[in-house]
Amino acid sequence: MTTTTLNSTNRFDTSTTQIGVSAVVLAVCLFVLFFVVSTSMIQEMFGLARQIEARVPTFFIRMVLLIAALAAAFFMVTGTSYYKRNKVALAPWLFLALGLGFFLLYVIVPIFQSLSYSFTRWDGLYDINGVWTGEWVGLHNYKVLLDDPNFYTSLKNNLLWLLLFMLAVPIGLFIALFLNQTVTGIRIYKSLFFFPFVISQVVVGLIFTWAYNPEFGLLSEVWSWFFCEMKENIVGNMTRVCSVDPPSILGDENMATYGIIAAGLWPQIAYCMILYLTGLNNVSSDQIEAGQLDGAKGWKMLWHVVLPQLKPATFIAVVVTVIGALRSFDMIATMTQGGPFGSTNVLAYYMYDQAVGEGVGRYGYGSAIATVLFFIMLIYISYFLWRMYQDEKEGH
Amino acid sequence: MSFSFTKLALGAAIGGLLSGAAIASDLVITFDDLNPDKKAAYEAAVDAFKAANPDINVIANNGDREAHKSTIRNALQNDAPDVITWYPGNRMGPFVDAGLFMDISDLWASDENLSGKFNAIKPTMSRDGKQWGVPYSYYQWGVYYRKDIYDKLGLSEPATWEELLGNCDALKEAGVTPFTIGTKFLWTAAGVFDYLNLRTNGYDVHNDLTAGKIKYTDDRIRATFAKWEEMLDRCSFVSTHATMSWQDAISPFAKGDAAMYVMGNFSVGQYKDAGLTDEQIDFFQFPEITAGLPRAEEAPADAFFIPAKAKNVDNAKKFLAFIATPEVQGDWNKAIGQLPPNADAEINTEDKFIVEGMETLSTAAGLAQFYDRDAPAAMAKAGMEGFQKFMLDPSTLDEVLEGLDKVQAEVYK
Repeated sequence: MTTTTLNSTNRFDTSTTQIGVSAVVLAVCLFVLFFVVSTSMIQEMFGLARQIEARVPTFFIRMVLLIAALAAAFFMVTGTSYYKRNKVALAPWLFLALGLGFFLLYVIVPIFQSLSYSFTRWDGLYDINGVWTGEWVGLHNYKVLLDDPNFYTSLKNNLLWLLLFMLAVPIGLFIALFLNQTVTGIRIYKSLFFFPFVISQVVVGLIFTWAYNPEFGLLSEVWSWFFCEMKENIVGNMTRVCSVDPPSILGDENMATYGIIAAGLWPQIAYCMILYLTGLNNVSSDQIEAGQLDGAKGWKMLWHVVLPQLKPATFIAVVVTVIGALRSFDMIATMTQGGPFGSTNVLAYYMYDQAVGEGVGRYGYGSAIATVLFFIMLIYISYFLWRMYQDEKEGH
Repeated sequence: MSFSFTKLALGAAIGGLLSGAAIASDLVITFDDLNPDKKAAYEAAVDAFKAANPDINVIANNGDREAHKSTIRNALQNDAPDVITWYPGNRMGPFVDAGLFMDISDLWASDENLSGKFNAIKPTMSRDGKQWGVPYSYYQWGVYYRKDIYDKLGLSEPATWEELLGNCDALKEAGVTPFTIGTKFLWTAAGVFDYLNLRTNGYDVHNDLTAGKIKYTDDRIRATFAKWEEMLDRCSFVSTHATMSWQDAISPFAKGDAAMYVMGNFSVGQYKDAGLTDEQIDFFQFPEITAGLPRAEEAPADAFFIPAKAKNVDNAKKFLAFIATPEVQGDWNKAIGQLPPNADAEINTEDKFIVEGMETLSTAAGLAQFYDRDAPAAMAKAGMEGFQKFMLDPSTLDEVLEGLDKVQAEVYK
């Protein structure tokens, strides 16, 4: 009896030794962090800082010190009686603290930073004293944006991506239906169809860039069977002469975006296909049989019996396809860099291009584009969150 | 008392870590070219500097050229080396204006090489009447052509616009596309525009345009575009240029499907790699358009700068003075097949392109850096996209020029 009471009081007591030791460790870590590694104190005294930096990776030392400081702070907090009394309520926050800290530092703060940059004209530089070199221009960047044909081109392309990328969902469904049968070696066919999704976007972009190349690409090879012949040129080399030139897909402003979307669809279809294949495994055979007894077949069976059961798969397929369409950046960067003359830009790429690409350095303007993109995405994300919330409510 | 004791103790502890390394002064250099020949030339110069200054502990870094364009911002603002490479002309403008480069006018005034042998390039290295860097190399631009095709058709190097157009007619009649170009990365088109503009309007108009003093809808710029339209019409370019890089565009040139290429001298090595020989290719200066106009040329330079935050300024200046000497300039540029900015430096007289390049540049009335280095980056990007659009469809001219005026009004402020 007495031991339990003793224990229970002990459990809520502040453990002074733990806090004391942690506090000392924390203080030492912070002292070293701020006063030795990062200041010029040593350098002034001994002129050694350069040499230390050349031999010891200071970044590594700072990280170790930082982690030690965090651990010490953790032990300091858990040593207090307040924490011990409210353990259940506080523990999750303690575990979340680090993650939330980084989320705040690297996601939330930059959103507001870029929002504030969008009201300035700034080339991304601080002067020698670390003073920001920009100037406040109010809504000027947004005014320029509304008058910028490249902005509308990018916006239009964003919409094209969203719309055409959706084709991946039905195409993926039909391939999945086609592959959903038991034939010898079907697993091999399934893997082959899934294969493009495994390849990195950059590689897909390169493969399609080559295939589209009007000089030596696959497309122009096929083209030349119909429209071209080989002739000897002035210096005696064999060269191709075409009655109709092969299309220069990525070099033509009217075709280039469609060319990139087609390339992006290739892996996306594979992704949707695999989602539907797993979905089809769970389609209940009872309902199919019941449908067959009622005389449903073909399209009717698909529309009224199979598709409703695939609803979760369709939802995920739509979500990942929308995300895929918004992530078109990689494909554009590898295939056209926004060209010819900016006609394949999307907002994300145009923003990158104006702010950091090739040192263009219109950070304020780039931030304005980023802000517009942010609000457009916010609509979609809000819908998605709302939808999740609704589903969860139904679930309970 | 106890505080300084702590400092002492820490210092001693760290000093112990270093196992008693001798305290010599340092020099940290950041270079930006990993191409084998460029890298070797840089390393050779650094080794020579080390041999001449054994007391300086040289830390020589090298990185990718494209990545350097963005990492330099961080390097100049935070962890600055003592010497760093960058481009002169307007490209150094933002860094000079933000006070991130060190003014080295004193070195230009006192150093015997810099004060006397760099006159042609000095304006390029200057901003606000002060000098900011030391160039180690530059090269000429012009027209590279297939001499064998020219000979076969009995054509000669054109000196005037009319002669060029005449040559184009003859080439087209023989089934050869007059010009090759690859505009996928845009800047090649700027080379053609610059030459048309320099020959139509001259050096001052080029500078005023890139400095934002002339509008793109100005009649003089329209005259340049009129010449360009004439060129597109009579001297057509390879039709698929928008999908090709400048290296891809060598393929029709090497095959003999195209006969001329407006390019910089760095391309010669690639022609030879593609199987062409010195007998098959040659060089001529872009022909005269407006008669009697002083001939200006494109001659982009690469240079070393001292960041304002450099820690070993004396050593950095020593290194820049060393780079400016005729011996180093000569050896460096012989190794990379380019031209030394120091007028006293030796050139490789066995290389006919280098000899012609020296002749071209030393007699030029003015040296332009290149459209995308003379104009601020934001303007250059929009401008070059406009050039590409115009090349693909000349009927968009008005739209292009008005669009560029808008960007210009926004960028130069």
